[in-house]
Amino acid sequence: MAVRLTLEDVTYSYPLTGKGEESALAGVSFDVEPGEVLCVAGANGSGKSTLAQVCAGLLAPTSGSLRYGGTRVSGRNGLRRFRAKAGLLFQNPECQLFADTVEKDIAFGPHNLGLRGDELAERVRRSAAVVGLSMDELGKRSPFALSEGQKRRVALAGVLAREPEVLVLDEPFIGLDFEGAVCLREALEEYRTARRATVIVVTHELSHVWSLATSFALMAGGRLVRLENRENLLRGDTDLAGLGMQLPQWGTIARELLRGGIPVGDPSDLRALAMAVSRGKGTPGGR
Amino acid sequence: MTPMVSGAPPGIISVEGLRYVYEGADSPALDGIDIEFSRGKSYALLGRNGSGKSTLARCLNGLIVPTAGRVVSCGHDTSREALSNEVARSVALVFQNPDTQLVGATVEEEVAFGPENLGLPSDRIRARVDEAMERAGVTDLAERQPHRLSQGQKQLVAIAGAIAMEPDFLVSDESTSMLDYSSRQRVLELFEELRSSGMGIIHVTHFLEEAVTADEVVVLESGAVAERGSPSSVLGNPERLRALGLEPLPVSVVTRELERIGHRLPRGVLTAGELVAWLYA
Repeated sequence: MAVRLTLEDVTYSYPLTGKGEESALAGVSFDVEPGEVLCVAGANGSGKSTLAQVCAGLLAPTSGSLRYGGTRVSGRNGLRRFRAKAGLLFQNPECQLFADTVEKDIAFGPHNLGLRGDELAERVRRSAAVVGLSMDELGKRSPFALSEGQKRRVALAGVLAREPEVLVLDEPFIGLDFEGAVCLREALEEYRTARRATVIVVTHELSHVWSLATSFALMAGGRLVRLENRENLLRGDTDLAGLGMQLPQWGTIARELLRGGIPVGDPSDLRALAMAVSRGKGTPGGR
Repeated sequence: MTPMVSGAPPGIISVEGLRYVYEGADSPALDGIDIEFSRGKSYALLGRNGSGKSTLARCLNGLIVPTAGRVVSCGHDTSREALSNEVARSVALVFQNPDTQLVGATVEEEVAFGPENLGLPSDRIRARVDEAMERAGVTDLAERQPHRLSQGQKQLVAIAGAIAMEPDFLVSDESTSMLDYSSRQRVLELFEELRSSGMGIIHVTHFLEEAVTADEVVVLESGAVAERGSPSSVLGNPERLRALGLEPLPVSVVTRELERIGHRLPRGVLTAGELVAWLYA
């Protein structure tokens, strides 16, 4: 069962060859509760990917601390224990695919955790099914011969097969088409609910996780600028453009309506949004 | 110089009966594509994963050659000249993942790589590199190592490398998908600037919002052209787009719904700004 994940004043600097270091994260603090979905959003180079690797225990903070359920994750053993509970989907799926068949690739993680035989096969099949992959169809194929979208699914199935309590995904929606994105959102929602897992999704595109995220960590220049909820993002308290981001199209319309005092429910429900626009405009032909 | 195809206009990519089958594949990735792209125009190429967009993009610059039919890029038949520099020189390709094309030790070297291969004198290379970096907004990164940059910065560097070749066409295979909103706006503005200076832009994308400003929108489905036309005619049809596996623009869905309940809207409303303008008109 997942427990609270806490970042306390975390900084991270990459060592540079020869001279000094390059700061990627500075003073980042937040909590994520089990079952929550934190969206980490920000412009290119704002520190999102570094933050993802810290949250998954791949990088140890240069200063500050990562706590899991109150226990400070530190030292080689501490990090190793935490990594066994966390899973990271890299931005580039090729970074984590390596086996000669899809089946072996997905089985690698659970095999390392000690699963064998039928139990292993069942875990592989189930993880593949969550991301919409058929093992009958693709199990024996090379993951490298697949399309970008399918590679991403195989990589995600491999992460899910370890059943991590903390699931961190770095830009998982890049290159996915509409159906692929819908499928991924459903997979994440299903996994989160079934396992009460902590999910952290890094993205530069708010629309992908709008309905899924419980809160939004907005990053700029390695700092956490704001921790926001949907309502505040919509109302426009935060200068998203200044952070290199934008609301989805429907968000822009909803913001205009809210400014005009017209209530909007869930603006991603486009039919409801159309009704709100209609109320704002007045009765058809009535003006 | 390799010989030009007689009678083929230089400022055009002409695709005739193009069929492409990957080795070992059961069905063709492209089948029966007839289309023409002109310099000075911008095209948005849409379609679900696996519809053939990337394969078509690769055929246009001769990276792969047709199984049947032909592609004549700027006067050069790609089947006859696949290994020549001519096609790649006039049709530059930028990929989704910049890691696949960055080779230089510094950004500057990276951008200079193409022009150096053209055998230009060093002062001309210098001028091209400086201009390309300036246009792509990566001048400040000139001394940095490409592999240490963020994905978005890397992509701008890859685009700068393509611009430095001064091609007739720039084919962007989802080059904006890793970019944040600001960088994407910058790239799209850059594309528009290049188009107005006479380059042809063929932009493969999943973001329908990026197709709004194109001269022509082309939608592929199962390796064939399923729709083509102006942005308002193609993007303004949400039902059809859904059937082609694309997420329609929210504005066009809202617009349809408003029309259904009796409102009258101007034709071709595709942006939030246009809808809001109508709301307050």
